[in-house]
Amino acid sequence: MEIREDLGPLRRRATLLLLAVFLTLGALHLRVAQLQLLEGEHWRQMAENNRLRRLPLPAVRGRIYDRRGNVLADNLPTWNLLLFPDEARNLDETLLFVASLGVSDAASLHQAVDRRGVDRLAPLVVGESLDWSQVSRVRAHQSDHPELSLVAGFRRHYPFGSSTAHAVGHLRLVTQAELDRDPGLDPGTRVGATGIEALADDFLAGRAGDRWVVVSAVGQLLGVVRESPSSAGRDLAVTLDAELQQVAASALGDRAGAVVALDPRNGAVRALVSSPSFDPELFSGRLSSAAWTALVDDPRHPLQDRCLQAAYPPGSTIKPFLALAALNEGLIDPDRTVVCTGSVVLHGHPFRCWQRSGHGSVDLERSLEASCDVYYYQTGQRLGIDRMARWFGTFGFGKPTGIGLPSEAPGLVGTPEWSRRVRGTPWYPGDAVSVSIGQGPVLTTATQLARGFAALANGGSLITPHVVVDPSQPAPVDLGLSPTSLARVRRGLELVVHGDYGTARRLARLPVAGKTGTAQVARLQEGVDSKDLPTHLQHHAWFVGWAPLDAPELVVAVVVEHGGGGGSVAAPTAATIFEAALAGGTGG
Amino acid sequence: MEHRIDPWLILAVAGILGASLVTQHAVSQVVGAQLFVRQLVWACGGLLLLLVLSRVRLDIYARVAPLAYGLGIAALIVVLFIGEVRAGTRGWFAVGPLTVQPSEFARVTTMLMVAAWLGRHGGPHLTSKDSAVVAALVGVAGGLVAIEPDLGVTITYLPVAIAGLWLGGLPRWAWIGLILLAVVAGAVAWNTTLKDFQKERVLTVLDPERDPYGVGYQVRQSKIAVGSGGGVGQGVGQGSQSLLRYLPAQHTDFAFAVWAEATGFVGASGLILAYGLLLFRIGLTAAVADSRFGLVLAMLIGAWLAFQVAVNLGVVVGLLPTTGITLPLFSYGGSSLLSTCAALGVVQSVWRHRLVNQ
Repeated sequence: MEIREDLGPLRRRATLLLLAVFLTLGALHLRVAQLQLLEGEHWRQMAENNRLRRLPLPAVRGRIYDRRGNVLADNLPTWNLLLFPDEARNLDETLLFVASLGVSDAASLHQAVDRRGVDRLAPLVVGESLDWSQVSRVRAHQSDHPELSLVAGFRRHYPFGSSTAHAVGHLRLVTQAELDRDPGLDPGTRVGATGIEALADDFLAGRAGDRWVVVSAVGQLLGVVRESPSSAGRDLAVTLDAELQQVAASALGDRAGAVVALDPRNGAVRALVSSPSFDPELFSGRLSSAAWTALVDDPRHPLQDRCLQAAYPPGSTIKPFLALAALNEGLIDPDRTVVCTGSVVLHGHPFRCWQRSGHGSVDLERSLEASCDVYYYQTGQRLGIDRMARWFGTFGFGKPTGIGLPSEAPGLVGTPEWSRRVRGTPWYPGDAVSVSIGQGPVLTTATQLARGFAALANGGSLITPHVVVDPSQPAPVDLGLSPTSLARVRRGLELVVHGDYGTARRLARLPVAGKTGTAQVARLQEGVDSKDLPTHLQHHAWFVGWAPLDAPELVVAVVVEHGGGGGSVAAPTAATIFEAALAGGTGG
Repeated sequence: MEHRIDPWLILAVAGILGASLVTQHAVSQVVGAQLFVRQLVWACGGLLLLLVLSRVRLDIYARVAPLAYGLGIAALIVVLFIGEVRAGTRGWFAVGPLTVQPSEFARVTTMLMVAAWLGRHGGPHLTSKDSAVVAALVGVAGGLVAIEPDLGVTITYLPVAIAGLWLGGLPRWAWIGLILLAVVAGAVAWNTTLKDFQKERVLTVLDPERDPYGVGYQVRQSKIAVGSGGGVGQGVGQGSQSLLRYLPAQHTDFAFAVWAEATGFVGASGLILAYGLLLFRIGLTAAVADSRFGLVLAMLIGAWLAFQVAVNLGVVVGLLPTTGITLPLFSYGGSSLLSTCAALGVVQSVWRHRLVNQ
């Protein structure tokens, strides 16, 4: 190191530099003294009048339109009430005031305040969809309660109400887990809970924004600090037909059941109606716990979507599929007749036909027309349970249809393997006999049956039902059925409506083909008529069919829970729907 | 021959770190993050680093300066390619859960190199060649940081260049030329490269009520926080500005405002006094140094620290436009804290390895 050199000039310059540093530091200290000592009182008052608020800017949810342009889901402007709890001088008094408006009760308000997260600048939504008297009361007391703020919002509105409640769905508040996953999400956000609202939530939702504002001590807006605008969700057109929904809903009336209508050519669903229904707008605002309990505890389960979430024994509606299976396997000759004497003994037990007196000599067409059980007991025996199960699977039974709506039930096609694994009992030979007439361990949803009949109607292609047209959805799958076999089965289903022995011949005025079904809920004792059973043990009534006969455009599946006979109960309901559809034109 | 470490400097550092930890603890309560624990770990690590580096002989620093400078430049180049991006700036190496900001450490190695160069070159005045070398040494490092782009850290390379040229003895006519150049460059930049929000920040200083809820919001909130601290403060964890999160960047750029709101003029003065003591002891170190290298090194570090303290406080009390410069040893951040402690360790090496009976 060069220790002997002259450091004089360096030291002089260093001293000057240090002098500048200390002068600067002193000046800054003086400035701090000015702010804190001279102007302290002024700045403290500024702090009082300096309330930063984050106001959520909700995103407008996309509308849902039906295929004719009817609005199925809309947004109505409303007033919401926000509370900034940290600004309240007397929080208890404020909560009492809010409770006195009748928008919420004091207990749940206190709970909400206690539960709020660390993000203290975000407000609590303490009232939704305020009416005019509530709005004017808040306005009148605004200066007493600057911590309350009225903001414009949107409320989801369903113009077709309960008739589209299950298909279109309803909303729900976001869960805590969803809030934790997405910090940008606002606690008051509603998302799709069921139906199309849930299926297309990403498409419909949009993105909420927010606005940061400074307000005075009396809640007056002083300025906007920054704003990120919300972006609206996109509108969605679906395949449903609102008018057909209404027709189906009124045709079902107050009976429990379901109607599924779809276009057999492409799988576009025209109607999904479940009864009893509910008002989906209950979920658009704050749902009181009493209203929620009433819905959940209702013994008729109005929230359940009977089109998709309820699986019933298909009864005789399974017969055309059994017939096709046996024909394609070459196990039966459609022209060969079976003599029905009213019952048949199999595996040592007698199995009865629904027609106690018997059908006499029955060929394939007649077996469908008159729905002869004995014919299918024997056909089922020839096929055996494994081949029956495989063919039912081919027609889409025992698995979800892929419609895309939430919570679809898969139904059930029982097999010996299933029996051991799930039921825990061995497979009885009698099980297969029951399955061949759609009883016992076989369950289908109305949507599955509509899909299966669509394959009969469209010449043997399995379509995927859908409510939203999506280019990525699977194309129809050709099942490779023999055209002559299919023609014979179709002829049989025409006779169901148009033949002299047809179980649905009361529909003969309509160009409809189809199949009735009467599914037993309880095994009948000898000599007991099903009409004498209590309601909850009465049969489920089915009708599934298509129209027009030559070029089918619509498949309708109707199930009426505990309704009685398929021909007397379900078929007339289906007739109403076919009539409306044929009059209105279902093409498209 | 070694002297003891300077107890007054250690006292100042410990005082600032203590006040910082109190502030970070209060902020952690509001924002719900683990700021306090991490800052505590870094503070302990920083003090350790300071003690270790103070034991290294001064001539070793002079010898390793070119290598250290080269490594610093290399790190700045590499980070441009593989660095992690935060808020648009590619300036961090991700090492497991930790991130390291090379621009903070390269500043220390740059100061070593400038001091080493000035220690060996130049008599009473700098030749134009030596001036150019000093400017280039700082310019290359600062330029690389500017490419990231990290404007706040780039600005902190400025005092290193200015103090280097000043100590080296740049002639008066050159200073006049530089000032004129700066004025012209500033005017050109104002009309060409500066973005609107940056101009607004400058104009807000001249006219605080210009846009109190937009661009002026941060500075206004900071002034309200400092001012409402009054004489003795509102108590730690009590101030409405900090508690209600009206104040932005509480744990970094505006940490002093949180402290001032909580402890008032008493606490603010104490903290400023601690910085004064720290800078005074660094100045004293420069005064007793027996070599050009040691003197220049201590002064460069002192000038850089003084610059950062002055600019940060200037912003917080509303005298300077918002720049994104942190308060050394006080603001939250591991790289900044560790590099500052490393620089102070080098200063202590100068202190400990001075000649006796000087």
